[in-house]
Amino acid sequence: MLELEQEIKRLVIETLNLEDVKPEDIDPAAPLFVEGLGLDSIDALELGLALQKSYGVVLASDSKENRRHFASVRALADFVSTHRTRS
Amino acid sequence: MPAMMRRRVDRLGRIALQAAYDAHVDAPDAPVVFASRYGDLGRSVELLTQLARSEPLSPTSFSLSVHNAIGALYSIARGDTSAYAAIAAGEETVEAAFTEACGLLSDGVPRVMVVIYEEPVPTPWEHFCRDVAFPHAWACLLSASTGADAIHLDCAASAPAAPVDAADLPADLRALRFLVSGASRWEHATGGRCWRWARHA
Repeated sequence: MLELEQEIKRLVIETLNLEDVKPEDIDPAAPLFVEGLGLDSIDALELGLALQKSYGVVLASDSKENRRHFASVRALADFVSTHRTRS
Repeated sequence: MPAMMRRRVDRLGRIALQAAYDAHVDAPDAPVVFASRYGDLGRSVELLTQLARSEPLSPTSFSLSVHNAIGALYSIARGDTSAYAAIAAGEETVEAAFTEACGLLSDGVPRVMVVIYEEPVPTPWEHFCRDVAFPHAWACLLSASTGADAIHLDCAASAPAAPVDAADLPADLRALRFLVSGASRWEHATGGRCWRWARHA
């Protein structure tokens, strides 16, 4: 799981062009949106697309569910590990 | 521009914003006219290519593919709610931008900033552009004047212009050359119109 967290951190940084952010700067338990890393709704869509491409996970349109999955890197890693269709 | 916003801006946006930030220093309240003949066409090519392949589109790229995206990011970064325009008028883009600026000046605004930015036309459309192409941006502040330094711009019907020599500068840089060179006039014939730029007229 730690490895997947690292992988997702790199995916977040690469997909969203986070200049000057290194994987070790991201606290896996910290919020990704608004506070914490400070991402916004366009980032959420972009990240959803990248996760779909990399892991074959499909995000439901249920925003409450998505909010839970996108809460932090750790939450994303949990979600990906249980829903991935691509390795 | 804060890094969290800058990360979404490509090369063309970066050079346009650099010119805008530099020129705005002397009149931070001036409303802004952003103008580009081709704009961020590279993004559109990328999105259309993805569509043609039935691939999902990048939401970030989609949100930035409109012509006013660069100006909009600039206004958000500055927290500026004053007037912003985004103009594209082909070969006559600079003239259209200056005309828009004159409208704002005649409404009583003391100064207007004009930002011009261009990039080579991307493949597969590069043959539509015959100019010498390289990425560039320039910006200037305009104010109304009747003094000796005034520049006059008018437009008249003319016989269709001969095609521009392939080795010539793009129209926006020929306009800039007139503005900074101190030349007394420059006639820019294009399509069925002739734009006449003049000093000390």
